[in-house]
Parts: sequence; structure tokens; C-alpha cells
Amino acid sequence: MVSPLDIVKKKRAEAISRIIGKGYLAPKRVYVGMATCEIAAGSKDVMEVFEKAVRQGLAGVYLSQKGCAGRCNLEPTVEVVEEGRIPVKYGKVTAEMAQQIVERHLKKGETIKDWVIK
Amino acid sequence: MAVRYQITLCDGPTCMHKRSKEIDAALERELASRGLSGKVDISLSGCLGMCAKGPIMIVNPGYTIYGGVSENDIPEIVEKHLVRKQPVSRLIIEEDHLYNRFFRVFGDVNFFGRQMRIALRNCGIIDPENLDDYLSVRGYEALAKVLSAMKPEDVIAEVKSSGLRGRGGAGFPTGLKWELTAREESEEKYVICNADEGDPGAFMDRSTIEGDPFSVLEGMIVGGYAVGAHKGIIYIRAEYPLAVKRLEKAIEASRNEGFLGTNILDSGFSFDIEIRLGAGAFVCGEETALIHSIEGHRGMPRPRPPYPSVQGLFDKPTLINNVETWANIPVIILDGAAWFSSIGTEKSKGTKVFAIAGKIKNTGLVEVPMGTTLRQIIFDIGGGIPNGKKFKAVQTGGPSGGCLPEAYLDTKIDYESLAQAGSIMGSGGMIVIDEDSCMVSIARFFLEFTQNESCGKCTPCREGTKRMLEILTRITEGKGAEGDIEKLERLGNMIKKASLCGLGQSAPNPVLSTIRHFRDEYEEHIKERKCRAHFCARLVRYEITDKCAGCAACRKVCPAGAISGIVKNRHEIDQAKCIKCGLCYKTCKFGAINKV
Ligand SMILES: Cc1cc2nc3c(=O)[nH]c(=O)nc-3n(C[C@H](O)[C@H](O)[C@H](O)COP(=O)(O)O)c2cc1C
Repeated sequence: MVSPLDIVKKKRAEAISRIIGKGYLAPKRVYVGMATCEIAAGSKDVMEVFEKAVRQGLAGVYLSQKGCAGRCNLEPTVEVVEEGRIPVKYGKVTAEMAQQIVERHLKKGETIKDWVIK
Repeated sequence: MAVRYQITLCDGPTCMHKRSKEIDAALERELASRGLSGKVDISLSGCLGMCAKGPIMIVNPGYTIYGGVSENDIPEIVEKHLVRKQPVSRLIIEEDHLYNRFFRVFGDVNFFGRQMRIALRNCGIIDPENLDDYLSVRGYEALAKVLSAMKPEDVIAEVKSSGLRGRGGAGFPTGLKWELTAREESEEKYVICNADEGDPGAFMDRSTIEGDPFSVLEGMIVGGYAVGAHKGIIYIRAEYPLAVKRLEKAIEASRNEGFLGTNILDSGFSFDIEIRLGAGAFVCGEETALIHSIEGHRGMPRPRPPYPSVQGLFDKPTLINNVETWANIPVIILDGAAWFSSIGTEKSKGTKVFAIAGKIKNTGLVEVPMGTTLRQIIFDIGGGIPNGKKFKAVQTGGPSGGCLPEAYLDTKIDYESLAQAGSIMGSGGMIVIDEDSCMVSIARFFLEFTQNESCGKCTPCREGTKRMLEILTRITEGKGAEGDIEKLERLGNMIKKASLCGLGQSAPNPVLSTIRHFRDEYEEHIKERKCRAHFCARLVRYEITDKCAGCAACRKVCPAGAISGIVKNRHEIDQAKCIKCGLCYKTCKFGAINKV
């Protein structure tokens, strides 16, 4: 008999392959905070910048929203996660900064140190 | 060494006990001897929950966890891992606790690294609107485990032995509550999630739901199975539209995948969840008022017993728990009660989420093991008080809680020790107060809130809080009278004893605790008509000093015509005419006006 645990394990495997199908294994994963607090601080504009960049063909990037990590006065926050590197966490990101993150970090691999949360 | 390594040493009590301070020193020495000082970042974390395998060291990038590390292992780790980039396999431990994912992404930042995230384990990590993301982090595995291999009694026994206590404020043992609901004979039972979150300044539950609604659902389904209920209700305030939307999406996705509805995962167990919106009254967070509100009645409490476990929603046995309580359940099932109860203090197990705000550098959500001190939260994680100001007090527990002064900073976070100190754990609000705040006004602020929110059903709360507020208002306006403090104490204690529900029973706490710890400030207000924080507008005197350049700006803005003077000469304030609006103070470009 198939147990609930077997069913969940199968569903998990399927879920993971769907996530991978959406490009999860890309060299860079970008997460934008989209809780009420983050949105109030302007994260929708930030998300739009990344979405537009992806629409216009920015390659090698997996974009996702996330809830808030809880660092209120540094919101909106954006994380760039890359295999083999410590995830970079940017704070107080504006639409203009997001554009810079696209150009400098996502395209050229530069961590913009001044904006990183310590 | 092109990669910049970051090393985290566990600074939790157990690892500390196993000499991690010596490891720290050995590491510094070894790095120095190889000329690597300053090229590796070292940080200390709070308890990492791997105490049995401590002392723990984590090397990033890569998130390699070393366990049982001693000083003698340090040269090898530095040589092999940091220089030659080959992890030392004999020391690596595999840990698959649920919270690790959060630490992987955020652990190197001090604010996060010192936390331990169990309830908030997925917040900031997964896409809260995507069930696939939740499944990928072992989502719904706890439910599956329960349905596959545990009887309802087993689940209850597990929750009981975990030591989990309710996170909604009162700290009632969760397992016992489940047992009391389970043993009632009834065809119909209900499970409720209390997401009313009415404390001003609190946002733990909102963040939990907005960051990971699935964990709450999973906890509720497990709870339903354990007590024999088939229907769950989430009571959430309408002011949380995004949280509501994410819950709706999560419920629908979970139903489509067979985690909710009839015959869940082919187990024969059926359970479904619906959402009820509250209009945002503080008293509707109280469980009996909440139940009335769901039933369509006015949100007013009733005396207990009977407790909801016996006679709850529509008079049926009802299990009601807080959002954070529910979010802990999947972890207890998967990582085990033994692991969960290894974290925390003797009587308070696991972690607690706090929303820290007020006069603090790093405002935010903090989840720490029970037993962490207030000082560690406020200074090590919160970064202390901004602008060089002095710490004065910390308010915990919101309008039902109290203020603790500096002498209590080493109080450990747990239900009993906070109560002993004169405050409460509450649901997790934590407001830091600096020297510029007036304690009488803070007490007045909270009492004004509870007074407004008092439902009016019982006299002590309805009338008593009103009288207390009148007295406090008088004191802050400089009209306090001898005996007011005693009157506040008498009224406060009476209201606590005689009120019908928890609202009235705790409403006087902010006043009583500030009288206990800051009595001299009350006395100054009453006897000397003085507010040392210069906060109470009526008690402030504005004076113009020698720095005055005679620009006449203050004279022009004064709405009362209280300032006189000749241009280029020092001006003067007629105290009899002054209405203490503070406009002159704000206008003066020379800093020539003092508040005294
Ligand atoms: C005035 C008042 C307000 C309350 N508000 C809340 C609330 O917003 N959220 C909550 O979970 N519990 C609240 N409670 C506590 C609930 O009555 C109840 O104890 C709790 O939901 C039980 O869940 P727990 O055991 O998981 O903490 C409140 C209690 C009182 C007296």
C-alpha cells in the first residue's frame, strides 16, 4: 500500500523538478522581499525592475519573491544567491539601485559592497 | 585564497560550556601565524540547536558544518579547508534540521546569525505563494508522517513532551490543551488559528503568514487529526489583506494537491480550513470573544470555565492556538520532541519570536531560544540604542505587559522569569525605550489603548480603566495630587482581580509595572510638576538663553504672542502667556531655546 509519506515524497520530487524547470539551477537566484512591510517600503518597484530585465532577456537568473526576513529598517531587501559564494543581501533597495544590481552584479558579477547588509 | 571565507562559531550556552571560547582564540592564533588575519570573517552565532554534537563551527561558502571541534583541530581546518579548499571530512556532521535553510542564506549577518529560526524557518526563504517551494523544504512531510505512522494519542504525546507552550500570550501547555480537546466525546469538533494579532506594534503573526502560510496550515491539520476535528478556521483581521490573500492561495493549492479536503493523502482522514475575517478589535483576540465573533455575535468574552476545549465554537469542543504555536508543530513532528525540548529553559522550551521596535538600531523580527537574555536581544542582536542615548526600559507583552528597567536586562526570556520581574512574555511585542521617553506617558499610552478597546461588558474594566486613565492624564498635565499613585495601585489591583477576561485582568500592568520600577518619575510629575524626559508638554518650560541672536523668528511664530524683544537683542518668553506648543523651540536656528 502507498503510504501518505510515499505520496508526499513523490509530490516533493515533482515539485522540485517543476522548480528546476522554471530555471532554479541558474547561476544566480534573486529573491525580492514582498511582504506588506517590504511592499510599503517600495519593493514592488524593485521587483518590476528585475522582472523587466528578465523579460528583456537577462540570462542566468532565477527570480522569485519571498516573505520578509525581518530586518525592518533595511527594507526592501534583495538577495542574490550563487553556488559557492556567501549569499549577498542588499538592503534599502530602490528601483534605481535595482537597475544597478542588474547591470553590475547580475551581468558583471560585481558585489556592490556599500549596499550589503552587515 | 580568492574566496573570502566566513566562519561561524556557535556561542550558545552548551557549546560555550564545551570551550568554544578557546577554539575562537586558537583560530585567531592559527590565522595570524599564516598571515590570514583579517582575510577571514569570524562571527558568533546564537544556539544552533546541534548541542549534542558541539562545539559547532560552520564554514561558508558551502555551509560546511563541523562538529565536536577542539582547539587541536584548528590547524588542520585552516590548512585543509581555508588554504587548500578541501573540507576536513572526518569532522563534518550532517544535520538536517528544518531551520538550517534560513541560516544558510542569512547566517553570516550578525542580526540573523544570532537568532534561531524555528517558527520563522521559511520566512524570507521560500515563495509564500508557491506550494512547490514549501514542498521542496520538506513541507507537509510532518503531516504525512503523522498520517502514516502515528495514532492521535502519539501525536499528542509528542507535542506534550516537546514542552511547547502557547505563543499567543498566556503560555498554556499546548499538548495538554490538545489532550483536553481530544478526550471530549463529540461528532463535531473545531480547530481555530488565532491570527487576530491585536497588540499595537506587533507583527510576528502577520510576517509568519506572509512569509510561510503553509506551516500554519500543516500545523492545524496535524492538530485536527490529533483531537478528532474535521474543520479548521483561521480568524484573521481584515487589516491584513496580503496575509489573507496568501492564506487563501495556500489553502486552495493545498486542497488541489490533496493535503486538505476529504481523504487527505489517501489516509481516510478529512479536514478542511476556512478563513474568517475579524474587524480588528483587540478583545476579539481573546478566545471566547473570538469564538463569539465567528458565531456572528458581538465580540465579547464570557467567563471560563467552560473552556473552549469543552464548549467552544457552536458549543462544540474547540482547539484554539496562536499562529506561532501552529507554525512550531511540523518541526516538533519532524525533528522530534526530544530535540525541541533540548532548546530553551526548564519550563519554557523552543524559541520565541519578538517584534523589536522603538529606540533601537536594528528594528525587526527576532526569533531566539527561550533563556536568551533581554540584554542579548537588545544589544547583541538589536545593536543597542541609536544616537548615543541611554537605555531606559524595555516594554514586553504590549498592552498587557510591563516595562523593565536596566537592572533587569539580564532577565532570561521565559514565561516565569518575565512574570517574576513584573512583566509578561505576551505574544512578542518588544519596545525599547530610551532616556527621552517619559514612563508615565508610556503607561498612559497603553492604558488609553486598552481603555478604548474595553468591550464594556464588565464594570471593573469598563469603569476602572477609565478612572485610571483620568488620573494618569491629570498627572501628565501637571495636575497630579498627593495620593494619586496609591489610588492607581488600588484601582489597578482591583481591576486585575475583578475583570471578566484577560483584557481587564492585564490592562493595569503597564501602569503597575512602571509604578514599581519608576515610582520616582511619577512622584516628580506630581510633587515637582516635572517631567525629566521633557516629554509631557504641559510640564515643559521654554527659556531663551544668551545664544539668542535677536532674529525675531520665534516672536513671529508664537501663536500666543508670548515672546517679546527688540531685533538683534535677546528675546524673552512670558511664561504666563506661553501655551507650551514648542513652535519657538523648533523654529530657532541658533539653538538658543532650552527646554527645562
Ligand atoms: C485581550 C486579549 C487579546 C488577545 N489577543 C490574542 C491575539 O491577538 N492572538 C492570540 O493568539 N492570542 C490572543 N489572546 C490569547 C487567547 O485568548 C488565547 O489564549 C490564545 O489564542 C491561545 O493560543 P495559544 O495557547 O497557542 O497561545 C488574547 C487574549 C486576551 C485576553
